[in-house]
Amino acid sequence: MSNTDTLAVSMNGVRKTFGSKVAVEGIDLAIPEGSIYGFIGPNGAGKTTTIRMIMSILFPDHGELSVLGKKSAIESKDRIGYLPEERGIYKKMKVGAFLKHIGRLKGLDSRGLDLVVKGWLERVELEGVYKKKCEELSKGMQQKVQFIASVLHDPDLIILDEPFSGLDPVNMRLLRKLIDEEHTKGKTVIFSTHVMYQAEQLCDHIVMIHEGKKVLDDTLDDIRTRFDPRSLHIDPVGGLGMSDEIAKVAGVARVSAVENALEVILEKGIEPQDAMKTLLAAYPMNRIEIKKPTLEDVFIEIVTDGVRGLDAEQLRANLLAGSKLEEEGES
Amino acid sequence: MNISKVMRVAAREFASTAMTKGFIIGALVLPAVMAAIIPVVMVLAMKAQPPADTGTVYILDHSQEVTPIIEDRLAPESVKGRWIERFEDAADTVQSFMPGVGADAAQNSMEQATSNIKSPVFRIIPAGDDTNLDELKEELRKQVASDTELADENRKVLAIIEIDVDATKKINDDEGYGSYQAFFRPKLNEETIGEIKGGVRWSIRQKRYDNADLDRTMIAEINSIDARESKEITEEGERKAANGIATFAIPFVAMILLLMASMTGGQYLLTTTVEEKSNRVVEVLLSAVSPLELMTGKIIGQMGVGLSLLTVYNAVGIVALIAFSLGDLIDPQMILLIFVFFLLAYFMFASLMAAIGAAVNDLREAQSLMTPVMLMMIMPYIFFMPVIRAPNSLFSTVLSFIPPISPFIMIMRVSSTDAPPTWQVLLAIFVNMIGVVVFLWFAAKVFRVGLLMFGKPPNLRTLFKWIRMA
Repeated sequence: MSNTDTLAVSMNGVRKTFGSKVAVEGIDLAIPEGSIYGFIGPNGAGKTTTIRMIMSILFPDHGELSVLGKKSAIESKDRIGYLPEERGIYKKMKVGAFLKHIGRLKGLDSRGLDLVVKGWLERVELEGVYKKKCEELSKGMQQKVQFIASVLHDPDLIILDEPFSGLDPVNMRLLRKLIDEEHTKGKTVIFSTHVMYQAEQLCDHIVMIHEGKKVLDDTLDDIRTRFDPRSLHIDPVGGLGMSDEIAKVAGVARVSAVENALEVILEKGIEPQDAMKTLLAAYPMNRIEIKKPTLEDVFIEIVTDGVRGLDAEQLRANLLAGSKLEEEGES
Repeated sequence: MNISKVMRVAAREFASTAMTKGFIIGALVLPAVMAAIIPVVMVLAMKAQPPADTGTVYILDHSQEVTPIIEDRLAPESVKGRWIERFEDAADTVQSFMPGVGADAAQNSMEQATSNIKSPVFRIIPAGDDTNLDELKEELRKQVASDTELADENRKVLAIIEIDVDATKKINDDEGYGSYQAFFRPKLNEETIGEIKGGVRWSIRQKRYDNADLDRTMIAEINSIDARESKEITEEGERKAANGIATFAIPFVAMILLLMASMTGGQYLLTTTVEEKSNRVVEVLLSAVSPLELMTGKIIGQMGVGLSLLTVYNAVGIVALIAFSLGDLIDPQMILLIFVFFLLAYFMFASLMAAIGAAVNDLREAQSLMTPVMLMMIMPYIFFMPVIRAPNSLFSTVLSFIPPISPFIMIMRVSSTDAPPTWQVLLAIFVNMIGVVVFLWFAAKVFRVGLLMFGKPPNLRTLFKWIRMA
């Protein structure tokens, strides 16, 4: 691993409790400078707590932490851009005044700040709101203003907590582009999301947090290779009603119907390539392919392996609905 | 602590509070306007219209000798004459209070008022001995019951007066004089009632003088003593004595000024903190400043608000005192002390407000935590009378050393007629400074933990738990 000097954030055995509730436990992290990291996990997993500790808004009970080479983010606050999950705005303040206020709190000089703010508003396609009151903006527009507030001072480390929630697809793409631009400029970006495909689109490195523990910390490519596909999607010429026959094929553990196809789950130790050959030999197919694991699949595999009695489908449904997993996890 | 960030927070806090129309109108313009209209109101108050009722007053005069005097006394022209005299006296008073300022205006409005006097007309009907009081009462009752306008206004019965036989001369020497009984129509003008009753009493008294062979003019002369202005002899020489009102008013006003300025700043601090928290803007701020910097900035910003209020009110007060030619009551040292004690009181109050604001989720939840603070703020009112009666009693002295009410009590004592020794004032300032440190320490702890706590509103016990946590 790279040495500490080039790490933007490092955490060592960090633990945080709120009263009797353990929010985060034994988190180790080493985030190199210039990387783009995604924190994923369902709501309530401990992502925000972890981020707040990086920001020195909360302080760990145990463990070590360093941010941009300093003992805590307090010493390098002005080099960090932060978009909290619970993002607020001064409703009565004008957009320009609000951004300038935040910029100056972040240590920017008031000279030329006007132009910087206006430039950013243009970049996010919000020309003309400079003199509007914040409360007059739509939620999506406010969110873009808040994003500006977090990157206005050209920080080296950008931390975005659920940056995409509440945005429409067009603005989501815009924000993705802006984040990508910052990354290209060499900035370190950390962002969290509970919607896993967003992480897949942006990140080169994934940290998965579940019930306060880090369950995965790897590059996206490694994850894809490591979490070997264990299933195929097939569309037999004989129609989707053939699941019973297919289930009898050697190496097939289970068959279930998914949208426009049958999902074939393979037994342990069976190579997908071999299984495909066997299946094609047995029945003609319109389509047969190895199912690429999504982060969601990976997450569910990790979590179901670790916790007995957890229903994978139920978990998937919860994940999609974005609801909390705590109750199931505790039972 | 990054001073420039703190000042940045303070500047926004001040601007967002004090640079709003609501604040400028509510806190600055209103008092200024009120101070400006005090003389006008005084003039208007003296413009009270004399009674203009017309009607009948029945007099059942068993003594048989008061009625002619009453008729004379309540005759329209004599009533009018007395009102003009009263107006002229009032005009003199206004002029003596406000030489220069508004005196001409007062004089003008006085002249206008006197020329407009509508004199009341009372038609006195002496009821003979044979007239039954019950019949007269019945007539009045019927008039009131029918509730219709009488064709002849003069027949409207205003009152029935029954005068005792022995109202003007004693029947036996060992008993006192008799009296009179008045019956009035309901909802009669206060001035009319006053005029009628006053006339009857005056008339009875005049008759008693006559019967006792006393000279009416001589009695009037004996009773009248011209009041001359009292003076105080001080080191520098003579000066106008502080009158009764001033001894109470100045400490009271000083205390109210302190309370108002520190509470206004504190209240705004609570509101903006709760707002920042419920808006969730606080986490954005915390990514730029530390909780302590944020709190310090906010407290300083609202201190600016309180100070500007205090300055405006003090200026208004000084102008008013000069206008009322009470300028020699202004004491520069006193004004300095008001500012010193304001800062001490404000910091303690603001600390509590910041802590409460950070601890709760919305203003409604703040109410329950505010109750003890409000009780504390009422104490200066409760202790005002006992302290001002005996500014140097053990009670007053002890109270003036207990933060956080100490600044209020001390300012009352200092501005009273019997000021405490300087060492006590200095000691109180010192004690309050310790209080300020303790309160700020407490607030900083609660503020840090509270800001990011959402959900169940805390009670006092959880607050203390947070202090241990932080």
